[in-house]
Amino acid sequence: MQNETRVETGKPEKALWSKGVREHLVAYSFIAPNFIGFAVFTLLPMLFAFVLAFVKWDGANPMKFVGVDNFTRLIQDTTFHKAFWNTVVYTIGVVPFTMACALGLAILLNQKIFARNFLRTVFFFPYVASLVAVAAVWNFIFSPTLGPLNNILHAITGVPIEDLPRWAADKDWAMFTVVLFTVWKSMGYYMVIYLAGLQGINPELYEAAQLDGANAWRRFRNVTVPQLAPTTFFVLMILVINSFKVYDIFINLFAGADNQLNDSTRVMVYQIYNTAFRSLDYGYASAMAIVLFLLVLGITIVQFNGEKKYG
Amino acid sequence: MKLKRVFSMTLVTALSLSMIAACSGNNGNNGAAPTTAPTAGNNASASEKPADEPVTLKWALWDWEATAYYKPLIEAYKSKHPNVTIEYVDLGSTDYMTMLSTQLSGGADLDVLTIKDIPGYANLVKQNHLEPLKGFISEKGVDTAAYGGTVEQIQVNDEVYALPFRSDFWLIYYNKDLFDKAGVEYPTNDMTLDQYDELARKMTAGSGVNKVYGAHYHTWRSAVQLFGILDGQHTVVEGDYDFLKPTYERILKEQNDGIVMDYATLKTSSTHYSGVFYNNSIAMMNMGSWFIATQIEKVKSGESAATNWGIVKYPHPDGVEAGTTLGTITSLAVNKKSANKEAALDFLQFVTGSEGAAAIASTGTIPAIKNDEVIGSITSIEGFPADENSKAALSTVKTYLEMPMHEKSADIEVILNEAHDNIMTKNTTIDQGLADMKTRVQQILNN
Amino acid sequence: MVGTDKRLKVAMVAFVYVLLFLIVLAMLVPYVWMISASLKLNKDVFSFPIQWIPELPRWKNYVDIWNRIPLGLFIFNTAKLAVIVTFLQLLTSSFAAYAFSKLRFKGRNLLFLGYIATIAIPWQAYMVPQFIMMRSLGLNNTHLAIICLQAFSAFGVFLMRQFYQGIPDELCEAARIDGLSEYGIWARIMVPLSKPALSTLTIFTFVSTWNDFLGPMIYLTKTPLKTIQIGLRMFISQYSAEYGLIMAASVVSIIPVLIVFLGLQKYFVQGIASSGVKG
Repeated sequence: MQNETRVETGKPEKALWSKGVREHLVAYSFIAPNFIGFAVFTLLPMLFAFVLAFVKWDGANPMKFVGVDNFTRLIQDTTFHKAFWNTVVYTIGVVPFTMACALGLAILLNQKIFARNFLRTVFFFPYVASLVAVAAVWNFIFSPTLGPLNNILHAITGVPIEDLPRWAADKDWAMFTVVLFTVWKSMGYYMVIYLAGLQGINPELYEAAQLDGANAWRRFRNVTVPQLAPTTFFVLMILVINSFKVYDIFINLFAGADNQLNDSTRVMVYQIYNTAFRSLDYGYASAMAIVLFLLVLGITIVQFNGEKKYG
Repeated sequence: MKLKRVFSMTLVTALSLSMIAACSGNNGNNGAAPTTAPTAGNNASASEKPADEPVTLKWALWDWEATAYYKPLIEAYKSKHPNVTIEYVDLGSTDYMTMLSTQLSGGADLDVLTIKDIPGYANLVKQNHLEPLKGFISEKGVDTAAYGGTVEQIQVNDEVYALPFRSDFWLIYYNKDLFDKAGVEYPTNDMTLDQYDELARKMTAGSGVNKVYGAHYHTWRSAVQLFGILDGQHTVVEGDYDFLKPTYERILKEQNDGIVMDYATLKTSSTHYSGVFYNNSIAMMNMGSWFIATQIEKVKSGESAATNWGIVKYPHPDGVEAGTTLGTITSLAVNKKSANKEAALDFLQFVTGSEGAAAIASTGTIPAIKNDEVIGSITSIEGFPADENSKAALSTVKTYLEMPMHEKSADIEVILNEAHDNIMTKNTTIDQGLADMKTRVQQILNN
Repeated sequence: MVGTDKRLKVAMVAFVYVLLFLIVLAMLVPYVWMISASLKLNKDVFSFPIQWIPELPRWKNYVDIWNRIPLGLFIFNTAKLAVIVTFLQLLTSSFAAYAFSKLRFKGRNLLFLGYIATIAIPWQAYMVPQFIMMRSLGLNNTHLAIICLQAFSAFGVFLMRQFYQGIPDELCEAARIDGLSEYGIWARIMVPLSKPALSTLTIFTFVSTWNDFLGPMIYLTKTPLKTIQIGLRMFISQYSAEYGLIMAASVVSIIPVLIVFLGLQKYFVQGIASSGVKG
């Protein structure tokens, strides 16, 4: 109340702008620089993509409105179904594995341990290192007959090289390989987010818990976990979204020079990309994109509500 | 309160208006493009312009550095037309036709377009990006018979949108040193597929890093699947694929027996066929004639360690004449929306004509106009294998296009590639894969 | 009783260190192998047992790669883009995030939900309409296209807002009572307090711009404009059997990020540490 009167008497010339409008203008001015760029380069094309989902268009000839035809086609498209399930399996593999590793490392590296900064760098670095380069290294190391990994396994176990997993080149091991690669590459990223979250926890809470005689597990369970809830929400959301829109990793690990994935490695975004740019079927590709969008949006909303209840 | 509501409503209206404007702007652009194109063409008509007015042509192509004939072609043309500057736009070989189509749909100001394959060509035609050439051909008196029937093969509804300048066909490349070392007779110009298989098995030796593979199939569908069409009984656009079964059985058996490198491994390591040929790890390889020029050059530069090599004709099924092979044509087209259409067409005529053919042949590449003189100039290039068989390998009796012209060939190719990949990586059995090809292609054909 | 407890603790610590050592080893092996392979002849790259330190290191690999592709130019292009994008991203995101977390206005939740929803939409879903739009603005084959594409991501706003949420509203209220304008609060209170978040966002944005390759692939078709990612991929598919050279080029492509990261990492780690004290 006091605040209001002060502002109004302090700047009487602004009285012709009601306080609400002024506040709004200030708020919008904060948002504008980002929002204008965002609206022009992200939102507009995105809305256009939504229009595209209901048309047939090859990018050159006039668009043709086809209603929900693109969506009925999706229901029968077995290739898309495979891509969908591969994406789901990949997400299920990556999310818990990465979260556990990231949280474990964060808790460890939040202690006063030897060479802490060096270790943080080591774990974070794969995320920074360019994907094309590290994927090339992985493909060499995991190469079925020549690669050092299988040669080491062969030397240790004595199993003939031909009988060892062929990793990325093996339809049954491909998913395992890509999950392993993803965890290796990205856990440092989530570890850092967790570290930031851990730093934000008030040390007094731990002290109080210790005074109450809580052991390490209880302190973790009763202080760390609830205090980290917002961070966990954030990590989970980004992790799920990144897993659903994965493309680069699969292309660089599996696709070879001609960018072709097969039934055991195709993912949704690959399918969208292919439909749009190889088959020039922008409408159908946009329909797939919308399915992807709705899926992720649904998961996000569930998590959003979860956070509200949890936090 | 009222003001606030008015303000937010204005904001929303303004936002949605701008969105509508931008959306319709996009549509307008694309819709209007075909109608404005002729005007652009008229503007560019050189008749009113002095002939020496500087013109810059943008030429879309791939692998500028790795391709030998681009520079000689441009130099030869520039010496006759000093007013023309030719800028290249290298779109890379991966998904070249995809990138080209995306660029054109986005309105990129390219003038001369290299057409890499038939499916991509069919798409560009369908998208109305290419300038029709029939009128130009008759006006300039271009003799289409000189192209050995290839112009007819790229006709769409009685119209032609490109002229071929390269006409490649498939051959067997082999490493003479490896054959000498193994004490095995060189391959010949008349091999059946079974003889080829037998020879490959004979040539496989060693293990680990030093292993020599008898043959090599690159990860393209055409390198494996198209053995099946050499008997002339089937095409890959007809919608039934049972005839491919023996081919896949033979190749998968070679793969299982370690005669050839594993497809999935080649894929994940992005292995390029040239690399394994250069470093002496394969005895024979089926590949297109474009590799002749590259191999000659890389032997000179020292990049290729396979210095003693030769070529022979493609292996053929029983009862088919030797010299039957697969072919692929590379053509030039002109962007319908080009602002320098006249100049672009002139450049196209030069490259696809006899002068261009001579320049292309001088680098060891087979031009579309293929006569004895051209063949002679290729075999006399320094670095071309000296033996008689290699020279004779360049004459062909029957060439089947890798992908015949078909309205839906782009869609069909996507399906064939996917199914091929699944079969080769053992994601499906051969029978399943072929059945999958059939159902999906039938769907496309009936649509 | 105390003794066993202590011994158990020591054993635990020892176990954790051994485990950590093994994990670190597994994390580092790929780089070591990469550097080692980059100094070998092709035929020695895959020889087994692995020779970690090549007897005759082949430094020529590192000379050769610069002649095969314009690697220096690619690195310069990428660095230029990454710096500009990061600067714009930091500025606009922290600005917008302030409004989303500390100001009340109509449509705030709706707008923010819109932002979040767009994080979820893969860029691939709208890259075609985006390309058409950019082209009509004359941005095709310019670095500006990549800048516009990357600089206004919703992710930055989201990240900053999450951090700002943790800063008590009372701080802003107090500043308002002291007569500070909203811009003043942003500049004098929020930005200094959010240094850890800003350094986090810096690294994330820099890295994602540096590592992006589909964007540059579509927009930068002219060789002199290309970035290191497409350059490297081009190199790999062209010289696939030149294992030594590929590894050398990979090492070179990683070094600039390593330098930037190690330079920033000090502030980054400090930032995280100080956020605990200040926040």
